[in-house]
Amino acid sequence: MTISNEERKITKADLKKLFWRSCSMDFSWNFERQSSMGYAFAMAPILKKLYPNDADRAVGLKRHLEFFNITSQMGTLPLGISAAMEEENANGKLIDTGSINSVKTALMGPLSAIGDSVFWGTLRLLATSIGTALALKGQILGPILFLLVFNIPAFIVRYLLVGIGYNTGTNFLQKLEKDGTLGDLTYGAAILGLIVIGAMAATMIGIHTPLTIGSGEGAYHVQSMFDGIMNGFLPLCVFGIIYKLLGEKVSPMVIILGIFAFAILTALFGILG
Amino acid sequence: MVGKAIVLGIIVLIANCDYFIGKLNICRPIILGVMVGFAMGDLRTGIIMGATLELAFIGAYSIGASIPPDAIVGGVLGVAFSIVGGHGPETALVLALPIASLAIFIRLLCLGVINPLLLHKADQYAESGDVRGVETMHILGGLLIGITGGLVTAIAYVVGGPAVEAFLGVIPGFVQVGLGIATGIMPALGFALLAKLLMTKQLAVFFFLGFLIAAYLNFSMTGIALLGAIIAVILVNIDRKQRISESGTGKGGNSDDDF
Repeated sequence: MTISNEERKITKADLKKLFWRSCSMDFSWNFERQSSMGYAFAMAPILKKLYPNDADRAVGLKRHLEFFNITSQMGTLPLGISAAMEEENANGKLIDTGSINSVKTALMGPLSAIGDSVFWGTLRLLATSIGTALALKGQILGPILFLLVFNIPAFIVRYLLVGIGYNTGTNFLQKLEKDGTLGDLTYGAAILGLIVIGAMAATMIGIHTPLTIGSGEGAYHVQSMFDGIMNGFLPLCVFGIIYKLLGEKVSPMVIILGIFAFAILTALFGILG
Repeated sequence: MVGKAIVLGIIVLIANCDYFIGKLNICRPIILGVMVGFAMGDLRTGIIMGATLELAFIGAYSIGASIPPDAIVGGVLGVAFSIVGGHGPETALVLALPIASLAIFIRLLCLGVINPLLLHKADQYAESGDVRGVETMHILGGLLIGITGGLVTAIAYVVGGPAVEAFLGVIPGFVQVGLGIATGIMPALGFALLAKLLMTKQLAVFFFLGFLIAAYLNFSMTGIALLGAIIAVILVNIDRKQRISESGTGKGGNSDDDF
């Protein structure tokens, strides 16, 4: 490690670049080291600035080509922390360079757990429910709202985490965990997510029966009996059966084929329609 | 025909670049439907088909290291073939599902073989401190997935058209009714997959709350989402107050987040 006398500083512009580059984290995703090239790609300008010396830069690049995977929107937190640690290292203030990667690795699990449930569980579900409800009627507003509802919060979080990561490092996460904010967030996201899934199950699963008992004027419609039990009786049954099958570890692919077989059989006998 | 095929290929390439621009979700069927509908000259139908596919594929997206069926190639071709043949959304779904399951092999080839090769090349560049080399491997890896997907889509559109029409032509009437029924039921699978992600014994009641609000009250989906957000905030606040009064210091975890 060569240390020059002048201090090497990361500027606001560097962090902005880190933010934009974080967006491509999963572009070259692969089974071997997952998002590692994306991480190195995001760190590249900072490494270039901090390590003018080829040998130092090589060590830095190789460090960030190690295995990495995270919920995309949460990626800027470890990136911000890595930037701060690389800056310390370039100025000779970091004692153990191994800690740069061990911090990254330690963050992957907890950040992805909360990120997957908040962004891919709840927020995307929210965007999909609002978007598809309108899009099914052919309204262009549906797809537009779908993008806005998901991306506005997602990008605000992505942006804020750069500064939080760079300035406060891992303390931020520990603080959130300690005062229960992390738990609250997953708890609240799960409540909202389940309410939305319930509403979607009631309105977007289409199943009804044309069956009648008797014929002519006095025919009794079986569907009206189901409606008498409760609104959305058949959709709820279908949801319940599939949920149960998933619980029995039946593969989704088998369930898809099962749905087709069931649908075609019931169509043949005129049970559903 | 060839012109449309090229446009469809480009749509697949753009959709794959979603992974470059921050996972905006432009690779989802609901957005692909808009793009394909526009390209095929029937925007409204495209939007409706996209939304139908979105519901069917709602459980199919990558979390962590799982790779779902390729909704991009499947969605684009499914919507394009259905619009061009004048068919309904159920045809889009019937075509999209098998195509998506086949297209996954291209993706697996890229993620399992080609990208790891590029990764090792990137390691060599890193060895000599070559930033530009590492950056190039990263961008190349992402572009190759989009380009192969786009090529396959364009070729399949040109070659597959007559075969698809012939296939759809021989389907008996009751099977077509059945496919319509399946299209209605299919979203249940996605909802169940998502519910599995969030559901615990204590929280199951909220699924039923949402279900009943939608089934009995004339709320729009946006209204239910906003109501759900308020309910979530109220309950988190109650939970937090309880925890603080129990421990005095606000320390301690949350017993309900066990998933």
